[in-house]
Amino acid sequence: MDATIVLNTRVKQKDSSMAVVIAVTASSIFDLEEEEGPKTDSTANENEPFKTGAAFPFIKAVQRVNETLLEMNPEETLLFDVMLLSKDGSANSRSRIEDSAVHYGLEIGRFCFCGPEDFIEPLRSNNVKLFLSTDQDDVFKAWERGVPAAQLYRQDDPECTGPLRVLFTGDVLGLTDDTAPLLTELGFSEPQVQNIAAVKGAMKEFVTCVGEMRRRFGRDGSPLRIYLMTAWSPRDVCASALKTLRGWGVEVDEAFCLAGAPRGPILAHVRPHVLYDHGLGIPRNVPAEC
Amino acid sequence: MSLEPRQDAGATASATNATNGDSKACWEDPKDIYDNMGPTKKPKPGMMRRARKVEGAIFFPKPENAVTIAVSTRVLFRTETEQKIYEQRGIEEYLQYQVEHENEPFAPGPAFPFVKALETVNTQLRALYPESEELFDIVLVTYNHAHVGVRLINTINYHNLFIERFCMTGGSSPIGYLKAYHTNLYLSADSEKVREALEEGIAAATMFMPDKQMEVSETQLRVAFDGDAVLFSDESERIFKAHGLDKFFEHEKENENLLLDHGPLKGFLDAASSGIRALKTLRAWGLETDEALFLAGAPKGPMLEKIRPHIYFDDQMLHVEGGSGDGHDRCPRALRDCTEVPAPQKACRQGAQCQQIARDSDPRGTSQCGKTKNGRRPISFI
Repeated sequence: MDATIVLNTRVKQKDSSMAVVIAVTASSIFDLEEEEGPKTDSTANENEPFKTGAAFPFIKAVQRVNETLLEMNPEETLLFDVMLLSKDGSANSRSRIEDSAVHYGLEIGRFCFCGPEDFIEPLRSNNVKLFLSTDQDDVFKAWERGVPAAQLYRQDDPECTGPLRVLFTGDVLGLTDDTAPLLTELGFSEPQVQNIAAVKGAMKEFVTCVGEMRRRFGRDGSPLRIYLMTAWSPRDVCASALKTLRGWGVEVDEAFCLAGAPRGPILAHVRPHVLYDHGLGIPRNVPAEC
Repeated sequence: MSLEPRQDAGATASATNATNGDSKACWEDPKDIYDNMGPTKKPKPGMMRRARKVEGAIFFPKPENAVTIAVSTRVLFRTETEQKIYEQRGIEEYLQYQVEHENEPFAPGPAFPFVKALETVNTQLRALYPESEELFDIVLVTYNHAHVGVRLINTINYHNLFIERFCMTGGSSPIGYLKAYHTNLYLSADSEKVREALEEGIAAATMFMPDKQMEVSETQLRVAFDGDAVLFSDESERIFKAHGLDKFFEHEKENENLLLDHGPLKGFLDAASSGIRALKTLRAWGLETDEALFLAGAPKGPMLEKIRPHIYFDDQMLHVEGGSGDGHDRCPRALRDCTEVPAPQKACRQGAQCQQIARDSDPRGTSQCGKTKNGRRPISFI
């Protein structure tokens, strides 16, 4: 099935040459797999909007960034432009997703309906800078095909109105020629190691855009907050990642060097909306001595 | 009394092969999204050694096994100049200054010798128990912006400190992060933050830069506890305050064989006041004291002057409601402290009056009860 792109005429279209196009899976934003009730309920539900999904607060946080940018400068063109991507192309599902977006007042520029396996091409053809999903498999498939992708972290509180929290992991960002051999020792394959420059390059575009957005806001009360975490690297890699980001014009708000401590508790405290890894994955059994 | 720090230099060299047992079990946090990611080939152990500059300190213990001590920038390093810039010229100029000076390391601050002494303890623990991760782990927790991170890391490198973990909260309260890092003890210059941490059940202490720098051991960690209320619940203390000294001794005598309840610092060193009961309690916790001094109300100043502990746990640290941070208001109390703490880790800054009393007093009430094995231990609990 070819992907179908539907422009959302209800929202003002962004200047696509300037906007930061991000694609989000519909299953992250809506709960598409509702519990199977009795048949009659199921039919009745068809006209109901979907319930909110695990990353619903993300889309709201993105909207608040756009709103604040436009409040500060009505001519602003550096805005997020959201494409909602659904892997279920049935007519029924299409209309329900579109209706749900209207119901929740979501600022979605366009919808993309495609088959379960062919979602990569529309990402390319729509100039998507970052593809986002709560599903780790989606993220992997995108990276495998060279499309920058990041995980949406599940949010507990759908009503949360805090800033858009974007967390970059710095273990690869901070690698220099000196430290790169560490990757081979960690179990990364040679092609993966050689891929690092490409990965950094792929990350750079989105990271730079977000950094520029962040600079539009003050230090306090910003609707966008940037975090850096190095998970398994020693401190020097963290310092180097901070410098890399600074070189790209990104002012990091908070930084964590975990040096092998479990990420879970810190992530649970930060609750980032976006967890932007480097697509190379992390060796499963990084020894605790690291 | 054997207070001379003696160091086995030979202990440092052999501490390189520590392993960490079953790392997998502890690493598979169900919330951890990385678990099913990426290349799964088991890496060679010790890959980070190359990246470490600290000889003999080659692995980072898992936080749940280690005793995690969180220190703030202002207690680990001297940052008065920067602090002044922040206060007088604001955050932007402060950050700019920090970035412009990021290749100039900070000088050691009040917690620095303490951190160095912990490193010595770790080295010896590794030599003695290579399989164990029961070590001290230092986390630098600061509400600085990440901008300052490069300078902090450069400084850690310069002083060759064994700190790998840190957390820069960009102005947010660090308290939530203390919990996330399983912090056992938090040392900060900000008494307000210390109070917040205490309210959250995290042992914490305020540290000051003393006017007079004292040399303290970097090779032996010396911990002094005021047993009255810091280690033990203040049940006995309350009886003393309410009913006077006679009732206090009566109560102690009656309850001699009952262990005292945990006080707020028990959690820090799972790991001493009117006598026998305190010692029994300490022993039941597995904490051996090298020297126990029962001052019976005599001023502690002269003793502390001699011992020079890195850290002196007095319950006054736990009552930081004063907020002014200088501690004058809470210093002199009836039976106890006009405590002159000679080490940089002054928990309570004294007014001149207190120091006078401390100097003039004769520690005649002092009796030495718990004598220890030898002076070689890198930790001395007093």
